[in-house]
Parts: sequence; structure tokens; C-alpha cells
Amino acid sequence: MNKNKEKLLAKRYSSEKRFQFLGKSAIFMALLFLAFFIFKIFSTGYTAFQKTWLIVPVNFDAETMYLDANPSKEDLEDADYFEISLQSMFNLDKNANEKQQNELKKMVSYFFEREIKQELINDPSLLGKTKEIYLTASDDLDQVFKGNYPRDLPEKQRRVTDYQLKIFDQLVEQGKVESKFNLSFFTYPDSREAELAGIASSFMGSIFSILVCLVIAFPVAVLAAIYLEEFAPKNRFTDFIEVNINNLAAVPSIVFGLLGLGILLAVFQLPRSTPLVGGITLSLMTLPTIIIACRASLKAVPPSIREAALAMGASRMQTTMHHTVPLSMPGTLSGTIIGLAQALGETAPLILIGMVAFVNTIPGSPMDPAASLPVQIYIWAESAERGFVEKVSACIMVLLGFLIIMNLFAQIIRHKFEKKWS
Amino acid sequence: MIKISAKNVDVFYGKKQALFNINLDIEENQVTALIGPSGCGKSTFLRCLNRMNDVIDICKVQGEIVINDFNINDKGCDVVRLREKIGMVFQKPNPFPKTLYENISYGPSIHGMAQSKQEMDEIVEISLKKAALWEEVKDRLHEPGTGLSGGQQQRLCIARAISVQPEVILMDEPCSALDPIATAQIEELIDELKKEHTIIIVTHSMAQAARVSQRTGFFHLGELIEHGLTDKIFKNPDNTKTQDYITGRFG
Amino acid sequence: MSEAPHTVKSYEEELKNLNSNIVKMGGFCEEALVKATQAIISRNSDNAETVIKDDEKIDKYETLVEQQVVNLIALRQPMAIDLRETVTALKISSDLERIGDLAKNISKRTLLLNENLPKNLTEALIRVSSNVQKQLKSILDAYLDRSSAMAVNVWEGDEHIDDLTNLCMQEVIKYLKEDEKNLDDGTHLLFVTKNIERIGDHTTNVAEQVYYLVTGEYLEGDRPKGTEPIVTGEK
Repeated sequence: MNKNKEKLLAKRYSSEKRFQFLGKSAIFMALLFLAFFIFKIFSTGYTAFQKTWLIVPVNFDAETMYLDANPSKEDLEDADYFEISLQSMFNLDKNANEKQQNELKKMVSYFFEREIKQELINDPSLLGKTKEIYLTASDDLDQVFKGNYPRDLPEKQRRVTDYQLKIFDQLVEQGKVESKFNLSFFTYPDSREAELAGIASSFMGSIFSILVCLVIAFPVAVLAAIYLEEFAPKNRFTDFIEVNINNLAAVPSIVFGLLGLGILLAVFQLPRSTPLVGGITLSLMTLPTIIIACRASLKAVPPSIREAALAMGASRMQTTMHHTVPLSMPGTLSGTIIGLAQALGETAPLILIGMVAFVNTIPGSPMDPAASLPVQIYIWAESAERGFVEKVSACIMVLLGFLIIMNLFAQIIRHKFEKKWS
Repeated sequence: MIKISAKNVDVFYGKKQALFNINLDIEENQVTALIGPSGCGKSTFLRCLNRMNDVIDICKVQGEIVINDFNINDKGCDVVRLREKIGMVFQKPNPFPKTLYENISYGPSIHGMAQSKQEMDEIVEISLKKAALWEEVKDRLHEPGTGLSGGQQQRLCIARAISVQPEVILMDEPCSALDPIATAQIEELIDELKKEHTIIIVTHSMAQAARVSQRTGFFHLGELIEHGLTDKIFKNPDNTKTQDYITGRFG
Repeated sequence: MSEAPHTVKSYEEELKNLNSNIVKMGGFCEEALVKATQAIISRNSDNAETVIKDDEKIDKYETLVEQQVVNLIALRQPMAIDLRETVTALKISSDLERIGDLAKNISKRTLLLNENLPKNLTEALIRVSSNVQKQLKSILDAYLDRSSAMAVNVWEGDEHIDDLTNLCMQEVIKYLKEDEKNLDDGTHLLFVTKNIERIGDHTTNVAEQVYYLVTGEYLEGDRPKGTEPIVTGEK
């Protein structure tokens, strides 16, 4: 009898140990994956925040630009910079033949003419002088400088020619190649050229979408939740609605994309590829999440508070607006933020409503075409150029940072305001 | 003088009948205690008096409850007005999660009882003084009411209830969550308040009913078994059920 | 007691215990009275001494009951019937204790009495005593049965005892007047008679308590009194 008992006890302890071991290993596995994922993203992505510049002397020769000695601002804007730009690149190797000159030109981004022009406009006194100017290196040389590009491949398989590499190495030796923080990654819109591609348009697109989503989903969801929780009679019809709200939260996001496509674009003729349509589509998706969060936090308000207010002679409306809703706000807000964070990471519905289009302008309003961060990741991941690989990771980092900040905010709201009254 | 008169009151929760033909007169400026085992309907009856049962969809109240010659179960009765006249204190102290001041001023402000800040200050002070809480909290009126001890919270709730000068105060087991000292303070308060208000108190503690009330009603299984003067009920009740209950013989 | 038992069994037992202590105490008192009376009739000094000795027992029971009552009030806070039970137990026990004392006093005097008392005197004495014994017995039964009717009977019966006592006293006074030698015995006999009458009074007190216990009300009206007694005083 006693022996049996001891056996049972040992069994109990060992089964508990086993369970704990399984749990710990599951957590370990999850952490391992997460660490691997983060390491991968960061190791490939961190270089995108650096940009390689070639320092090239430029001779602002007034004659070549068809300018007189004292040009007005308009004159400077209209002047021809192409010739001096080309010339300054060609000057890197005075003996270059035509083919080599072409290769020289391709060592910098096609943007170099504008970079030179900007320099002169900022400082018109440079006219007639020569100055060393930072020019964005081509994405391939950028990758070479960052060590991401294998030099030992046969020339045919490389996008960088031996000649370009020779000149580049010379420049490196002279200290004329510099790596600086890549501000343009944040300020430039998308581009076909990896060295010029930035997340400004998709970032703004995401912000606008989220704002539209918030403006539409939050009031609708909160009103719906308050009505359902505080005022609606409990009957089959409201039960039916409740079940369907829960179902709506489980609907795959691409279905909402189809809805946006079929109704917002086809029926209401709203402009394609815009954060407005994206936001409305996302708001449909976020709606049930917020309703559920809001109802849950309304339910969590102790009935004694409602009773207290009612017993004081407050009407139902006063009870709800003076007591229940303010008390439920922390929960509702954190639920809303989590819903928005979900919407922020959503790709499929946005692709369907056309936010996948190539947009090389920064949207100024929700009515302008724009991409969004997750869609941007998708677009870049599809691109062939090596320069986009690091950009994908960098974009993921930005998106993750955004989400972490939002979730943190939700946590803070919850803790700060809920604790006070509990 | 009779303040409240319940005549043939029946209450149903859905199909289940919770109260059967209750007839009870409540004397003005007296404390009436309602006792009985759990689920006997005493709280349900109490909540009929300020129509708090309205909140429950499936709850139906029949019969007459006459207060000041007016049947509150009439269609024409305004619940907000009624609850201004009949305050309520609950089992668990339930101050609003706001400041002490806001807790007291809420009732007067929604009923428009104060014209100015000064008037409101006065109402708050008087209410707190009547609830014997003023001395303890006068320096922290703008701190949250939830920071007080349980007994203080309950007195705050009483202060809140009397801030609108109700004629009747209903108390639903007001001391069940309090320690004996806090309970004694509330009981002393009830004794004071009965000079100006009619008080009806539901309690599980028979000793408390005996201590604070002048009249006692005993409920059992939804029926009012016996009611009358408290000392008669506790010394020599007419009904054996009452006797069995108060002597602790209930099977 | 009510039909239903208490939810708390130990409370129920404490009340029962109190009840049975009162009944036991009552039994001792009855015995004491019977023995004391027999001692007078049969001149049995053993009986008288037993009564004197046994009074201690009754006193002990009184203390016990008092302790139990205080405990009940302090720890159980009895209500309604239980409250009356407790309070009347206290009062009945003090009446019974007095009865015990009076019986003891009778026995003490018996030891000093002359062996050959006139027959008419003893007969009168026995008449009073046996009536009081009957009263005492029936009030104890009434207590046991919680019978208010029996209590009222006992209460009303006190009038008859007063009358018998007066008759007995007249006999004793006559006996006193007969001879100066009778002075010692006569005085003792007067006190014995008076003591028996006092026992009857205490029995009536118990009857009042039993009535209150059962009904929760007090017996209304003046206590029944026989013709004015000629001699008063006790002990």
C-alpha cells in the first residue's frame, strides 16, 4: 500500500518534470527561431542604412552650361548640367575610350546630374570654380564597397566590369569613396535603381492608410460595441450579430481586399492605389477586432459601477457616457492599437486594391497613389537587383520597429490607466 | 406614519416567480430590516422599491408599491425622479473611480441641485459630515475614492446617496464586506440617518438587524413570512419558520 | 424547544445540557423536600442529615447552570426561544437553589424537634408539604413538557397552599399556647411551616418562568394569595 503510494508520488513528480521540460523546450525553440530571424534580418539589413558616395571633382564651367557671369535663380534652374556632369565623370580617366566613358558614367546613379545641379543652386558662388562633390555610387559599386558583391566571378556574370572596378579601387585608394548614413532611404520614394530607392512613399502610404483606418473604424466600432453591450436587448437577433462579428474577425484578409476591389473601386469609383481605399479596406478588417476589444473592456467594467450610477438617478445614457465608457477606454484603445498594428502589417488586401503599383512620388494626401510598407517589402523582394536584398531587410526592420512601438504604446496605455482604477 | 406601502407585489424572473404577494408597510423615519436566507427575495424586494429591477430584462414586477400616495409601478413614474428620492447603498462599496469630491457631487450635478461651485462645495461638505467621513477626508477631497479603506468607502457611498437628500435610503447588506469596527460605525450612522430618512436595510446578520432596526420583516422562499417590531421578532416571533431561522435551526 | 434541531450541533447539545441540568436540579429539590418531610414524620435523623449534605449538590448545580448560561450568552448569542430558554434557566436555577436551602433549613430544625409531636400538628404539616411536593413535581413536568397550561395550574394552586399554611400555623399557635414547654418545638415548627410555604412561593416563581419560556409572555394579574398569614418571617 505504502509502496504503491510512493510509486504514484514519484510518477506524479516525474510527469510534472516532463511537462515542464516540454514547455521549456517549446519556449526555447520559439526563442531560437526568433533570434535566428532577427539575426538574419539585421545582418543583411543593417548595411542599407549606409550609402556609398563617390567624391568627384566637378568644374562648374559657365560656358559649358550656357550661363552668363551673373545668372538669376531661374537661369540656374534651367541651365544644362548634363555636359559638366558627364565631363566630371570622364575626367576620372582621361584616357578612356567611348565604351569606357559609358562605363564611367554608370559608376554613379543616373541621379548624379541632379545632385550636381542641387549643389550649384545651394551655392551659386561655385560658378566657374571646381569643387569635389559627393555623388551616389551605383547600387552595384555600393554593394562592392559593402563587401556584398563577389569579385571573383567571371566578368560576364557580373554587373560591374573590370574597368569599373579598377577605377573604383583607384578612387578608394585616393580616399574618394565614403560611406555615410543613408538618409535617402527614408526621404526618397521608391525607385527602379536600388541606390536611390527609399521608403518615403510606402511609409507615408502606410501612415495615411492607418489614419484613414483609424478615423473610420474607431468611431464605428466603439459606437457599435457600446450599443450592443449597453443598450441592445439580448435576443436571437443580437446573438446572431455577435456571432457574425466574431466570424468577421476570422475572415481571411484577402477577402476584404476583394471587397475593396469589388465595391470601393468598381462601384464607388474611388481612385485606385490610394491609401484612402487601402484604409477603408483595412478598417473593415479592423472593425471586428476593435468591437470585440471594446465589448470585452465594457464587460470588464464592474456592474457595481453601473448600479451605483443608476441608483443615483443617472439615466442609462448618462451611466454609459459618464462611467462605463471612460472606464473601458484603456482596454478599447489598446485593442484599437493592436488592431491597427495588424492592419499595418497587412499585405494581401492592399495588393488587390492596387497599392502594389510602382509609385515614385511621395503621397501628400490619402487621395494620392502610394504603396505601404509590407507591400514595399513584397515589391523589393521580387526585384532582381542585388541592391534590393538589403533594402528588404531594412524595410522589415522599419516595419517591425513601427509595430513594436505601437504595441508598446498599447501596453503603456493599458497599464497606466487600468491599474489606477482597479 | 407609513412611508412606503407594498400591496400584492409579485416579481417574476422569466417564468420563475421570485416574490409572492408581498404586503408590507414601511414606517417613516424608522429602520426596517429585511432578513431571510439567501435567495429568499429580500434583495429583490428592496430593488423593487427604486425600480433597480428594470435593469434586468427578464424581470417583471406586478402589484402596487405606493410611496407618497404614488404608485411607482405606474407607467407615468419617472425612474430618474424616483431614484433621486430613493437612494441606495450596495453590498460591496462601489465608489466611482473618481475623486471623493466627484463621487459626492455626481448626483447633485446630474439633478441640477447646485447653482454654483460654492453650493456644490457645501453639499459635498454636508453630505460627508452626515456620513461621519468629513474629518477623515477633508484634506484629500481630490484624491480617488478608491484609495479609502473598505469602511470609509462604504461611508463615502452613503454620503453619495444622501447628497441628493433622498427621503428613503435602501441598503443592501451594507456591512457584509466590512470588519466589526467599520460595521459599528455604519450602524451608528444608520441610527443618526433615521432622523431624516426612512431606511430599509437588507442584512444577513440577524444580530445587525436586531441592533439597528425598529421593525423587521422575515422573507422565506419569496414570501414575507412575518413582519413586525424587531424586539418582538427576536424575542418571541409568532411563526415557527421565523423562530427556526433566527435561532439558527433552519434546515 | 422547537421541533427542528439547530444547524450547529454543539449549540443544540449545550442547550439540551442546560435543560437537563435544570431538570436534575429540580429532581434533587423534590427529593430534598420529600426527605425533609419524612424526617419530621418518622423522626429519621439520617434522612435529615442526607438533606443537609445534599444541599451542596444543589448549590453546585446552580453554579454550573450559571456558568453555562453566561457561556451561552457570550458565545452563542441566543435568540427568541433559545434566549428565553437561557434566561429562564438562570432564574429557575436560583429559585431551585433557594428551595434547596429551605429544605436544608427544615432538616436542621427537624434534628432539634421533640420526638413526640401531637398527631394533628404533623398531619397539618404533611398536608401542606405534600401539596407543595405535588406543585413542585408538576411544575418540573411542565418545564420538561414545555406546557404553559400546567404552569398556569401550578401558579393558581399556590392560593390553596397559602390557605393550608395558615391552617397549619393556627394549629402550631394553638400548640404553643397550650404549654410553655412547647415553646422550642413550636417556634421550630412555625419556621418549618413557613419554609414549606416559601418553597411553594419559589415553585410559583418557577411556574411564571415556565410560562414565559413557553409563551414569551408574562403571567398577567396579581399573584394568587390566600388569607393574610398570621405569622411572617423565615429562617
